[in-house]
Amino acid sequence: MIVSGIDIGSLSSETVILKDGEIMSYSIVPTGADTQRAVSACMQEALERAGLKFEDLSATVATGYGRIGVPFATKTVTEITCHARGAHRLLPSTRTVIDMGGQDSKVISIDPEGRVLDFVMNDKCAAGTGRFLEVMAGALEVDLVEMGERSARAKNGIVISSMCTVFAESEVISLIAGGCSKNDIIRGLHEAISKRIFTMAGKLRMERPITMTGGVAKNRGIVDALRRLLKSEIHVPEEPQIVGALGAALSA
Amino acid sequence: MVPKLIRGLLRSGFAMELAKGGARWSYRRENRAFGLWLHFLFDNMKKGFRKERPVAWISAFTPSEIPYVFDLHPFLPEVVACLAAHVGVSEHAISAAEQSLYSTDLCSFYRCGAGLALGGYLPKPDLIISTSHLCDGAHRFFHNMSQLFGCDHYLIDVPYGNDGRGRTYLTDELHDLGDFIGKRTGHHLDGERAAGVLELSNRTRQVMLEINELRRRAPSPFSGSEAMSYVLGMNFSTLGSQLGLAFFRALHGVIQGRVNRVEGVIEEEKYRLLWLHHIKPYYPNTIFDILGGLGAVVSFEEANHIYWEPMDPKHPLEGLASKILSNFGCGPIEHRIEAILEMAGKYRVNGAIHFSHWGCRQSCGGSHMIRDVMRERGIPTLVLDGDGADIRNYSEGQTRTRLEAFIEMLG
Ligand SMILES: Nc1ncnc2c1ncn2[C@@H]1O[C@H](COP(=O)(O)OP(=O)(O)O)[C@@H](O)[C@H]1O
Ligand code: SF4
Repeated sequence: MIVSGIDIGSLSSETVILKDGEIMSYSIVPTGADTQRAVSACMQEALERAGLKFEDLSATVATGYGRIGVPFATKTVTEITCHARGAHRLLPSTRTVIDMGGQDSKVISIDPEGRVLDFVMNDKCAAGTGRFLEVMAGALEVDLVEMGERSARAKNGIVISSMCTVFAESEVISLIAGGCSKNDIIRGLHEAISKRIFTMAGKLRMERPITMTGGVAKNRGIVDALRRLLKSEIHVPEEPQIVGALGAALSA
Repeated sequence: MVPKLIRGLLRSGFAMELAKGGARWSYRRENRAFGLWLHFLFDNMKKGFRKERPVAWISAFTPSEIPYVFDLHPFLPEVVACLAAHVGVSEHAISAAEQSLYSTDLCSFYRCGAGLALGGYLPKPDLIISTSHLCDGAHRFFHNMSQLFGCDHYLIDVPYGNDGRGRTYLTDELHDLGDFIGKRTGHHLDGERAAGVLELSNRTRQVMLEINELRRRAPSPFSGSEAMSYVLGMNFSTLGSQLGLAFFRALHGVIQGRVNRVEGVIEEEKYRLLWLHHIKPYYPNTIFDILGGLGAVVSFEEANHIYWEPMDPKHPLEGLASKILSNFGCGPIEHRIEAILEMAGKYRVNGAIHFSHWGCRQSCGGSHMIRDVMRERGIPTLVLDGDGADIRNYSEGQTRTRLEAFIEMLG
């Protein structure tokens, strides 16, 4: 049986196609302002890569912020359940999932079967999310993709106190003006965000192993900061951004 | 004054929305209890403006029996704030209060109430009574209102412990309050009147207990959403009055009818939930529709739990002191936890939603402790952060994700 999962996030949209439970193909496209276009673009790309036609799919499960806007979805499942299922599939011993996406972050406790036991999400502001990092990358005029590597090269500790995106941006700008190195500032930002996630995680009874998913898991600076704070190994799948879509496909 | 109110209400669309709400409801057979509430609402406003009797503003947690015992006209700004949110005018009121009086961190019911007061939409109090228990914001708000209106404010100081000493202290407080009321209004404690009020309250309590008993049935015959709107308004405002008794009797009839017809709130009830904290969001929102769409219904809510024993009509102030002190929100959090666990068992719920209202220490403070205990007992609990009256703090998408994920978690 061939099924697909589609995750329409605030910043990126992903599709995963499974054949008898095995990944055939996946795609990642920016969501942009036109959600419908993102829906068809990521579906089309994944189908092409698998050499399939839309009719070959027997079901499609939609998840993510834009899940209710996928016209051909056979059902919708929340990102919380999907990240839990996806992470369980990739590392079956996972007991905690940290998902950091574009506009929200979640910490999810799961049981040995990958079922959600409890979860916490960030409150409605952008602090502690991928969007926060994007704004800071803009203020620092560095490429988002370089942030992880740059923070590894930091020499001095800098504490960023504001977590409000607007205030933190001006804090960053004044630190640059004060002559601080960008690498040090980036590390400070990663630590500040990680502390927020650490606090969120503390609300749950967090068990190990921990798997990190979502686009921000590609940022090694954040993963390292979290490792230090949680004093724990954190497993990052090869492509953390598709875990939600994988979980959706597994729910078909 | 009355024309000003009517003008104000019309301008704000308040009356129109209410009329629409009433019309919608009259298509349903259960309009009797709702009709009595509408009647109470207009009558309460009208008499408040006409000042047939001295108007006492009371906080929601001040027993409504107190104004009835002293033959005062009760007025509850928190209840009106819920209503303002419901008909979509709270935003203006809140903004008015933020411009001249309060920071955005104060409970939005008080920001809304203050905005309505500043706009002249509420009857002027002759005196104000509030209590120190349960709500931190109340005495500050009511104190400010007494300054705004130039009237006196009596703060009933509720002690921490529900023991002999506590009850004696609180009874003395209520005697003091009686003197305060007597001096300001000439209305003194009249044993016969007081006994009548307490008897009415006791009889209403009995009907409320019977209603709660009916609500244990599956499918749930009455929605928690309605129970936290006008039913709670009547619970706060009318205990100790004839109208209160009539209202709860009518409501009992409505619910009994639904039980007889095996009529549930939603078509297919898969999950029964308990709603924690005494309020819900009152502005237009889709929380209960989302839950309903997932087969989940709020079968019961902490707000309508009957925690007090019948009061002795011969000793009204002692009785009222006991009622206040037996509130499970008083004293250590264990009291509240114990009551919540009892409700969870009694209403056979699959999970609970703890609504944590912005600016409310009462709801936010204990929510995690409660969630942990519930989880230990196998009752998954969602702490839903939100705001009861300020729609600016509501995000439909974010709320939907939390609710859906929670129901998915229940399996
Ligand atoms: N290659 C990358 N390196 C570092 N960070 C990345 C990379 N790709 C994406 N991100 C981060 O991931 C975030 C988007 O995460 P994603 O899980 O796609 O969000 P959503 O599902 O909400 O659209 C971006 O805001 C960005 O911070
Ligand atoms: S919500 Fe909290 S702060 Fe507001 S009135 Fe109720 S108890 Fe007081």
